Amino acid sequence: MTMTESPPSEAAESTEPEAAVPGTGLYDALTTSDHKAIGRIWLRVGLLLLTGVAVLGVPVALEATSADSVDVFDGANAAWQMNGLYNVALVLLVVPALTIGLATIVVPMQVGSSNIAFPRAAAAAAWGFVVGAAIMIVSVFAGGGWGALDGVRGEEADAIELTLLGMGMVAASILLACICLATTVVSLRTPGMGLMKTPLFAWSVLVSASVWILTLPVLIANLIIIVVDLRGGPLVFGNPEASTMIYDQVHWILEQPAVFVLGIPVLGIIGSIVPVVAGTRHVAHAGLMAAIGAAGLLAVGGWSQPAFSDQREELLFVAFGLLAVVPVLATLGLNSLTLAKAGVPAGLPPAQLLGALGAGLLLLLATGAGALRVIAPLDLIGTDADAAVGRLVAFAALVGLVAGMWFWASKIGGHALSNAAGLGVMLDFIGAGVLMGAAHLLIGFDFDGGLNETMAWIVFVGAILAVIGAVGVVASVASARRSDADPGDDPWNGHTLEWATTTPVPPENFVGALARVTSEAPLLDAAEQGDSDEEGAPS
Amino acid sequence: MFTTGFKFYFGLAAALVLSAVIYGYATGGEHVGPITWGWKGGVGEHIGYTMLMASGVVASAISFVIVAFRDADPSAQAHYLGVDEIVPTATVTGSYWPVVGAFGAGVGLLGLVLTPVLFVGGIVICSLAAIEWMMDAWADRATGDAEANAALRDRVMAPFEIPVAGTLAVGVIVLAGSRIFLNASKNGAVFWAGLIAILIFGIGVLYAAKPKMNRNIIAGLVLTCGLAVIAGGVVAGVDGEREFHPHEPHGEDHGDDHAEDDHSE
Repeated sequence: MTMTESPPSEAAESTEPEAAVPGTGLYDALTTSDHKAIGRIWLRVGLLLLTGVAVLGVPVALEATSADSVDVFDGANAAWQMNGLYNVALVLLVVPALTIGLATIVVPMQVGSSNIAFPRAAAAAAWGFVVGAAIMIVSVFAGGGWGALDGVRGEEADAIELTLLGMGMVAASILLACICLATTVVSLRTPGMGLMKTPLFAWSVLVSASVWILTLPVLIANLIIIVVDLRGGPLVFGNPEASTMIYDQVHWILEQPAVFVLGIPVLGIIGSIVPVVAGTRHVAHAGLMAAIGAAGLLAVGGWSQPAFSDQREELLFVAFGLLAVVPVLATLGLNSLTLAKAGVPAGLPPAQLLGALGAGLLLLLATGAGALRVIAPLDLIGTDADAAVGRLVAFAALVGLVAGMWFWASKIGGHALSNAAGLGVMLDFIGAGVLMGAAHLLIGFDFDGGLNETMAWIVFVGAILAVIGAVGVVASVASARRSDADPGDDPWNGHTLEWATTTPVPPENFVGALARVTSEAPLLDAAEQGDSDEEGAPS
Repeated sequence: MFTTGFKFYFGLAAALVLSAVIYGYATGGEHVGPITWGWKGGVGEHIGYTMLMASGVVASAISFVIVAFRDADPSAQAHYLGVDEIVPTATVTGSYWPVVGAFGAGVGLLGLVLTPVLFVGGIVICSLAAIEWMMDAWADRATGDAEANAALRDRVMAPFEIPVAGTLAVGVIVLAGSRIFLNASKNGAVFWAGLIAILIFGIGVLYAAKPKMNRNIIAGLVLTCGLAVIAGGVVAGVDGEREFHPHEPHGEDHGDDHAEDDHSE
């Protein structure tokens, strides 16, 4: 016999699966396995971190203006640790959280899947990231960080170990999320969508996820080695208690070529926005895919670790630095051709187009600064030029991601975001990135005549602009949530499958089966087919 | 033939009995005592051995009940419903276990630095999350009906979950409370003890008054407590225990009783 409380008739009637109604409360956020809700967790955490890190950037920049007279953090050691937190958080917390959030929401819809691959693992990645980030940030404020200028002593060692372990948990969570995203693009594409017909954002996510999958285990191994050295004495590579050795062992993740991975999804976002605004196909979809793939290849950076063996004057490092400009230039060139083919739209540009082009410009500046940095006679390595490349890439990614949030807003939260506010936010972030990047680069050149002090103040202005931008994004999102306006299912006449579904997006993404895909722009195909049918129809 | 519930509980029983035997020998068991429940030789440390062995016997009994009555068996249910086969569904339902697993990993990391007890706690939480996650994954695909799947899952896991959750809840309160008391001053410890007692009492009264409390409120409480434990653990662990000043013994009568007290009021 079977123990069951359901009488046969009721149980038999309930064997047809019913569409679940998505919840929006905290319980649903904690237990969800829907990719859109998981993506929103990443985005909310990312926006919170963006605001916090932008605010932290102001005293960090102020401290750098005049180290002797300004002492915001009560001592050089605390200032150095906060500077470390700002650098690491910008590259390893803020940008990955926003990137993974946007990708987790958009990529499954773009490839025509009902959910992300391994949805519970994706949820675990999101929550692991939250816990790891909390441990990392709290431990830095409790006296940890990535070493100490005057050597690691006493309880500092515990806090520093926690910082490193928190950072490891963050890296492992990003790795898990990347595995889910990469598997979604590889395995869950709708029938007919070959890899070469994959939408550019999904393709760029596959490329960047693959690069992270190659890079992050190296970082995790670095962290384990440091913890072992810290705990057991200098067992493996040296004495991490000595001044800045810990930071030296991990800061390769903040430098080129590894840091360029942050820019790869930006190339996909540009490639998704431009043809929709232009209302036409890309002039060379395959060429753009190749450029994005090449950018990924040149962003594999686990091999370049100056703390262990300095390859920064070797041919491979120089070649990676110089060649990184090429795929960015190619992407911008091909997108410009697409725009030119359709003609420049009159009036104010949509915020997402301004953001996409601005992000592309910042990425070009970043790779350009990186190319200058690897030219040995300029002697820029180890100077503020390191920070210049990192800031420019991070702000390129931020501007691109914010442009993506404006573009896909209706699919993310069911609301459209204000175009005017978007234009302001994008301009603000572009300005912040240019000011901070250029000023750091000029400090790196170390010109005489008090220029460094002026540039440090320009970095400070950039940091304030970043705070304004972060607050602007959060305010725009909050304002949109209160709006009753219906954004429509496809406000931009999009080309890819995420625009084929309704707004708000149903739990299984698509109602009914999707038609077989025959190109990278299936909705444009359908529109063109409809037009030709109308022309051929008898009047 | 063997249901999933039987496999789970039989495997659990085997693991527990094996653990009891290993634990017995590791803590001074002699001859074949740990294998024969103490009939021919000592079993080592009694409390741990008895708890592990008793849990193993209980798990084994549950496994036989489940297989004897074919409880929580999708194929038996299909037979009962009069259909040849229940079509599985591919929908993945919501689950607490990813967030619990992430929290467990965080606790484990804290323990790696602060105290081995937290580390073991983190490992236990992660292991439980892994077990529950596997059972959820099985239940999601058991039949084509989400409610029937949830009922099947609960039938298998409730006998395991309720005692484990109760033990863990008490353990976490005791452990977290002790860390706070050791970190706080003498009067501060009294304050914290009173506050924790009021919180436990208040939550109990609230739950008794509203047994069907909004699940979002419960989720909020769990999340807040979890983050507070992590942040508090970092700060208290890095800050360390308060200073204890040992008293000099006044005479032979006092011995080592009350040999230390703190002066950190």
